[in-house]
Amino acid sequence: MRPPPPNALVSKLIALTLTFLVFAGTLGLGAVWVRQEIFQTANRSRGLEVKLADIERRLDEVNAEVATALNPDALLRQNKHMRLGLVMPQEVRVARVELSPERMLAARRNREIFNVAAIDASERPAVRFVQASLR
Amino acid sequence: MSKGFAANPRMTLLAAGVLGCFVAVAVRLVSLHVVDRDELLKFVEKARNQITVEQARRGAILDARGNVLAISRSEVTLAVDPWAAVEYLEADRNPARRERKRAEEQAKRAQLAAILGLPAAEVDRFFTPLRRNVPLEKDLHDDAQDGLIRDRWVKIREGLDESTYDRIAALNLRGIVRDRHYQRVYPGGQLASHLLGFVNRENSPVTGVEYHFDMYLRGQDGWIETERDGARRELAQFRSRDVPAQDGSDVVLTIDSVVQHIIEEELQGIAAKFRPNFATIIVSEPHTGRILGLANYPSFDLNHYGQAPLSAQRNYAVTDVIEPGSTFKIVAAGAALNEGLVTPFTMFDCGNPVIDYKGRSLKLPRDDEPFGVLNVAGIVSHSSNRGAAQLAMMLGEQRFYDYVCKYGFGAPTGFQLGGEVRGLLEPPLRWDGLTISRMPMGHAIAATPLQIHMAMAAVANGGTLLRPQVIREVRDPAGRVVRTFEPEQRGRVLHPQAAATLARLLAGVVREGTAKGFDLPGFEIAGKTGTTQKIVDGKYSSSRHIGSFVGFFPASRPELVLTVIVDDAQVAGGTAWGRVVAAPAFKHIAEQLIQYLDIKPVIQPAPGRLLAQTGGGE
Repeated sequence: MRPPPPNALVSKLIALTLTFLVFAGTLGLGAVWVRQEIFQTANRSRGLEVKLADIERRLDEVNAEVATALNPDALLRQNKHMRLGLVMPQEVRVARVELSPERMLAARRNREIFNVAAIDASERPAVRFVQASLR
Repeated sequence: MSKGFAANPRMTLLAAGVLGCFVAVAVRLVSLHVVDRDELLKFVEKARNQITVEQARRGAILDARGNVLAISRSEVTLAVDPWAAVEYLEADRNPARRERKRAEEQAKRAQLAAILGLPAAEVDRFFTPLRRNVPLEKDLHDDAQDGLIRDRWVKIREGLDESTYDRIAALNLRGIVRDRHYQRVYPGGQLASHLLGFVNRENSPVTGVEYHFDMYLRGQDGWIETERDGARRELAQFRSRDVPAQDGSDVVLTIDSVVQHIIEEELQGIAAKFRPNFATIIVSEPHTGRILGLANYPSFDLNHYGQAPLSAQRNYAVTDVIEPGSTFKIVAAGAALNEGLVTPFTMFDCGNPVIDYKGRSLKLPRDDEPFGVLNVAGIVSHSSNRGAAQLAMMLGEQRFYDYVCKYGFGAPTGFQLGGEVRGLLEPPLRWDGLTISRMPMGHAIAATPLQIHMAMAAVANGGTLLRPQVIREVRDPAGRVVRTFEPEQRGRVLHPQAAATLARLLAGVVREGTAKGFDLPGFEIAGKTGTTQKIVDGKYSSSRHIGSFVGFFPASRPELVLTVIVDDAQVAGGTAWGRVVAAPAFKHIAEQLIQYLDIKPVIQPAPGRLLAQTGGGE
């Protein structure tokens, strides 16, 4: 068998080179695509970070405004401006309740339910009402 | 057999061409990456690399109920690059379109002026392109090295809030640039100004909590190492390092905003009525040492600290000393009771101006009125100088001095915000012959208002000297508590029984003594008035005084200790007695605090029964 002519080797080389170029080109395009994806993802991520920081900044601003509005001086000004007439309670006007208000309210409610006062004394049953919640 | 397409000369030429291109690319690559590497790297680093610092947000300062006393808010500094606007217009070669754009920009500037509340002419002035002088060697930013560069940053306004900036950004005005930064805001203005301190324009904390707890508050700035494109936009995909900022922790104080406001309002009333040199009011819990309010007159607005004189920025409660005056009589009385030398009923001759002490005659200080014979209860309630001197003499110099030290005088209280002075207290070796008779009435000693307050708190809580607490806890940005500050005992001053007896005697001060008429029925005010002559030019002045009232309530189960000190009050035609300038303020504050803090009245005891049975112990 005769050896292949020398030009055939060159042809193979060129073919291989072209194949390599196509392969490298594909890889290159792939790399560009991946980089583009990375770029877009990074930008999206940065956009979200900026948005988050922006929300936090606004939150701080709102917090500062709320704190300013809740300052005792500001509340007193509002009281005056809105003519609410709110004043600090004075001891002489305060009725101190020594008993438990819950017990008192429960007792009153029970009296109302069973209408104890309306029953004639002679007809009252010889029973004592015990509040279940207070046992 | 085929010779293949290589036999075609055209293909050979093409192959040679492709190879040549590869060689050319290779040569260029070698040139860029090897030959010119250093120079190009420098250029790239300068042009593309960027380190952006992410500012950490400073933590907030909160009061005991979570109300914000200091917070950081984002603010915008608005500026313009006037040349950017010029370049934008010059880039358009179409004259008609350029004119239209110019008119649009002009209209936007008018809107900007309206938003900022500035005259349109002033805004136009900001947009006028100017050059400024620089040293020749620094003139590298334009074509001509003539010592003039384009001024590309002209400040329009600083301290803009975000919502205002949003409106400006929506205009899409060419050349507008902004710089965001955090600005410290104090919503209460002058509320608790001497405790909070402030952060100056350089973002450095100066005094108070801001300075002493800066380690917790300041946080840790972050930074991003990245690259930017030709338009100076960040190329986020090339971020090589991203260290997130860590926001500062929040510091929670023991201060209650409402209590603080009540005492500051009272101080304003005192200032308007008596025009004092300074005045101080302190409110604290006797059993924990937690300070609920501490205020001084004069004061200042933290948001405008630059306009406040230095005298207004002083925390007089800890930086200045005064002679305590009669409030100091709790030392001699408490010590004598604690040592078992006297009972409330032990009698003393307070009419005699001279007494024999250690074999020599000693002149006793004068009383404000002649008393004659008084028992210990009377000495305390009527504030007899001679009686107090005799109590101290019973103890002797060294023992009396030891008690003065036990009460915390002559030593810092351990106030957490610094700036505190220790006061003046000499050891007995350095006393003159009269000191044993003068110190018990609060002369020959100097103390800060806070020292006086904490000494009274020791009586109220059953005899334990506590460290004043201003900080309750530190919380990280997520709200988790990372450090708490618990009550700290500095030492025991009195036995509980002696403290209880002294509390009963102090209740007599408002019932029948120097502060008679300032009691609140059912709430057992116990306290001590004090009136000290000021030392002017080395002598005690007869016209300038420091009036004070230090006390607690209810006497049998103390819930609050309250100190009012007024320095150099101007009282028309009279002396600035403690009962005149301080006791009314004490009562007024107590009335409000009873309601606000829901302090229950004490059930009235049977006549003759002790008001204080346990020295304040529950």
